[in-house]
Amino acid sequence: MTTILDRLRLDGKVAIVTGAGRGLGRAMALALAETGADIVAAARTLSQLEETAQEVQATGRGCLVVPTDVTDSASVNAMVEKAIGEFGRIDILVNNAGGATAGYGVDLQFISDQDWRVGIDTNLTSAFYCTRAAIPHLLKQGGGKIINTASGYGMRGGRNNWTYVAAKAGLINFTRSLALTYAENNIRANCIVPGLFPHNEEMVRYWRGGKFIPMGRLGRAEELGPLVVFLASPLSDHINGEAIVIDGGGMAGGQAPTGLAPVIPL
Amino acid sequence: MVTKQFELSGKVALVVGGATALGRAIGVALAEAGADAAFTSLTVNRQEEVAANSAVNEVWALGRRGFAAAIDVTDAAQVEAVVRRAVDELGRLDILVNNPDLPFAKPLADTAPDEWQRVLTANLSAVFFACRAAGAVMLPQGNGRIINVTSILGERGLSNSTAYCAAKAGVINLTRALALEWARTGVTVNGIGVGFLEDAPGIGEDGSLKEALEKYLPLHRLARSSEMAGLAVYLASDASDFVTGQTIFVEGGALAHV
Repeated sequence: MTTILDRLRLDGKVAIVTGAGRGLGRAMALALAETGADIVAAARTLSQLEETAQEVQATGRGCLVVPTDVTDSASVNAMVEKAIGEFGRIDILVNNAGGATAGYGVDLQFISDQDWRVGIDTNLTSAFYCTRAAIPHLLKQGGGKIINTASGYGMRGGRNNWTYVAAKAGLINFTRSLALTYAENNIRANCIVPGLFPHNEEMVRYWRGGKFIPMGRLGRAEELGPLVVFLASPLSDHINGEAIVIDGGGMAGGQAPTGLAPVIPL
Repeated sequence: MVTKQFELSGKVALVVGGATALGRAIGVALAEAGADAAFTSLTVNRQEEVAANSAVNEVWALGRRGFAAAIDVTDAAQVEAVVRRAVDELGRLDILVNNPDLPFAKPLADTAPDEWQRVLTANLSAVFFACRAAGAVMLPQGNGRIINVTSILGERGLSNSTAYCAAKAGVINLTRALALEWARTGVTVNGIGVGFLEDAPGIGEDGSLKEALEKYLPLHRLARSSEMAGLAVYLASDASDFVTGQTIFVEGGALAHV
């Protein structure tokens, strides 16, 4: 008997995941592969991509590794062409590449032009380049899913956090316009809004194990798996332009009013 | 396996307001994913009784167990009794879906205080009654999933619908606050924000409203109850372990627009 759960399957679909070399991107690539999609893994560092590819291939799916600089539109265009060359189609685009470090913790007076550009390019322009390159293929195929990794910092501010908050807020609103513009073309665009997901022990210590988060813990990268699969699947076809927060309750109250975590020291 | 995390085998769901097309679609989807499912009416009346029974028949046909209960959701005692019945008859309670809805459209100046009270009670207090009753079961067992169905009108205003909009917005913030309160208990509290439904009462009858919506909505059509089912399964299952306090809208992109 087929059930609603069978409609989560992504067999025969092709997903591009940027920032797939580690952390959330790798976890999302693996979840999409486990559910049946072939993966195009794009990121800067070849060695990390190769580790991701090994794990994807262990699920029985194909994985095309494409070292890519997502802040360089020529590099992005070439990556999308390679994806089409290898698999012939793109059904799912996960714009996940990003980074919070550019200018982080620095007083605004001392943020350089270069810091600002790097922060915006890495977190916002990258999604524009990838989406611009992929859209013609989604349109030609008659639809697809765009899933952008934003951040709680795209919805709330942070002390001495400048480029990241501006870029991620921009990404959420860019996603809304994508959702509206291409709704009739059977394309859906949504954001995943992760809370604090560490990808090394240093981050776990910095975030004090997440004891100030309402649920009392940090996120685990693999917890994004089911959400990205759901958003990539036909089960979410009427969800469009949404920013879905997965953060153990942080955004529901804000950290300070809960009395649990007034300050994360910079 | 990722898809395994969406399975609900061995879990028990109670859909308060399970006799509407939406309540039925959600409850049956939870049963398809493996849960036993009970359905209540919103008020005691023959039409809802028939609909709730028919939803339960669908659950039994899927090989799951369930029951239908005719209750008035604005009576806390009746809501508590149906939660106890779910535990007695089906063995436990893991998933509570709150799907109350009393449509109400009237200019504020013409809305009598008792009408306001009725709208707030049916749309908002009913959620409180059921959350409190389910909490008495879920908190001791250390896990649970509460899914509060609310509306696009809890996020945007609509003239001549002030009481309804206030109640639906209340559900969204009730969801946030309760999620925080129970964040360390294993019980998550989330919402489904429903777009304009083609099978909701009132929509089909007013041709002009339907026409206007079809023109304005990004997909140029109303939402279908069946389109809420996938999100309900996600929020009811282990797949959403780290999600709490969120109301996720299913409306085809309407809220993305200015």
